[in-house]
Amino acid sequence: HMSAPASSSLATRLFSGSLKNENALCILADSREIASGPDVISTLKAVHGIKVQVCSLGGCDYIVSNRLAVERKCQAELLSYGHRSKVAQKVQQMKSKFDRICIIVEKERLKAGDTKRVFHRTKQYDGILSAFIRSGIRVLFSSCQEETADLLKELALVEQRKKVAIAVPTEVERHKQDVLRFYLSIPSVGYPLALALCHSFTSIKEVANSSPDKIAACTQVSQQKAEEVYQYLHYGFDAQMLPETIP
Amino acid sequence: MASKTTAVRTGSVNVPYGHIIGSEKWKGSQIAQGIQGKVKLILEDGLGVVDFHLSNRSCVLYISEADLVAGNGFKRRLACFRNAFNLQGIVIVEKTPISDQYFPAVQKFVVLELGMTLLPVANQGEAAQLIIQLLCEQMKDRSSNLFLTKKPPKLLEASVFQTVQQIPGVGKTKALLLLQHFGNLHLLCNASVPELEGVVGQSLAQQIHAFFTQTK
Repeated sequence: HMSAPASSSLATRLFSGSLKNENALCILADSREIASGPDVISTLKAVHGIKVQVCSLGGCDYIVSNRLAVERKCQAELLSYGHRSKVAQKVQQMKSKFDRICIIVEKERLKAGDTKRVFHRTKQYDGILSAFIRSGIRVLFSSCQEETADLLKELALVEQRKKVAIAVPTEVERHKQDVLRFYLSIPSVGYPLALALCHSFTSIKEVANSSPDKIAACTQVSQQKAEEVYQYLHYGFDAQMLPETIP
Repeated sequence: MASKTTAVRTGSVNVPYGHIIGSEKWKGSQIAQGIQGKVKLILEDGLGVVDFHLSNRSCVLYISEADLVAGNGFKRRLACFRNAFNLQGIVIVEKTPISDQYFPAVQKFVVLELGMTLLPVANQGEAAQLIIQLLCEQMKDRSSNLFLTKKPPKLLEASVFQTVQQIPGVGKTKALLLLQHFGNLHLLCNASVPELEGVVGQSLAQQIHAFFTQTK
C-alpha cells in the first residue's frame, strides 16, 4: 500500500516527462495520510492533477512549498482541553522546520449509522483558534476531505506565484537515501530543504564547507534558516552535555 | 477616546486596554448583549467598514448570512479595508445552512486573495463568545501563547549524536567516539581516511569518508 502511490507517481513522471514542466504543482504528503486522508490524496491526484509525493515527513501532514507546512486537524480535537498540549507540541516542531504554518480544521466524517452529530462550540475551541491567529498561524476550514484537497491546491498555487514552490525533484536515488536521512536529522531542516541539499550540492562535505550565503543561494531558503544549518554543522559537541536518556 | 472621524481616514482607533469599541449599528443586537456581560463595550458611530476594534492593532469585520446571500457587496467592503488599513483584520462570517454554499468561495477570497483571517460562526451568540476569546488572547502576555512560547535554548548534543548515527555503519558507540575525537560535524566531514582510521577501523573509515564525499 505504502509504495503504490510513490511508484505510480514515479511512473507518470518518467512517461509524461513532467519533470521538465516547471509549472507542475507538487505537494508532499506524509505516509500516514494514506490511511487517515485517502480522499485528500486521491482528489489531489485525480481531480487537480497534482503530483503528490508520499514520503515520511515525520511531523506534519502536507508540505505545499519550500516554506509552508500544513496540518489537518479534525474539529473535535480542538474542542476539548485534553488535546491542547499535543497540538502545541506539534506546532512547535513544525515551527522549527518551516517559516509558515497552516492548520486546516476539517469536519469529521460521519460513520455509517451515526446520526448527524451536533457541533457544540466550546470556549476552548475559540481560545485555541485565537491562539493560532495571534501566533501568525493561518487557519482554514473544510467540510470534507475533498474540500481539504481543494484548499491544499489553492495554497500550493499561491506559493507558486510567490516563487517558493517545490522545484527540485522529489525522488532521491537509492544510494542517496542515506544522505537524505542525514540531512533530515538536522533539527531545523524540513523535507524540501533536505531534498534541495541532496540535489544542489555534490556531497555532504561540500555542504559542510559552504557559507550560510551559499546554502541560502543554492537551496532558496531564508538567510536565517541557512545560518541555523551552518551553526548546527559547527556546533561543538560536548559528551558531558548528552542527556542520560538518549532518544 | 476615539475620534469621531471615520476610521478609514484615521487608520486606527485608540482602544482602552481590555475594552472593545464597536460600531453604533450593533446597539441592542445579540452580539452586543453577548459581549457586554463580560467585557466593556463602547459603541460609537463613524467606524467606517470596521465592526469592532479589539485593540489599536486588530479589528473585526462581520459578514452576516444576509450579506452573503445579497451578493458581492461585502467583497468591496473587505477590499476597501485591506487598502485603507494597516491593521490586522479578522473577518467573522455567519456560516449557516443557508449561507454554507457560499463559504468556500468567501474563504478563498478572504484568506488566499486578501491574506486576512476568516472565522466561521453559526450565529451572533457564537460571534460574541469568539470576540471575547480573541480579546482575551490579545490581552495575554505574548509568552503565554501556546504557540509563541520560546523554548529555552536547546542543547544540540542529542541531535548531533543522532545525525552522526545516520552514517551507514555507525551506531551509538562509534558515533560517540567520532564526535569526541573530531568535536563537530564540520570537522568530521573534512576528516581524511587516515584520520578516521585513528578512531574507527579501516573499512569503516573508508565507508565514512565515501559517505561524506560521494558525488552525484
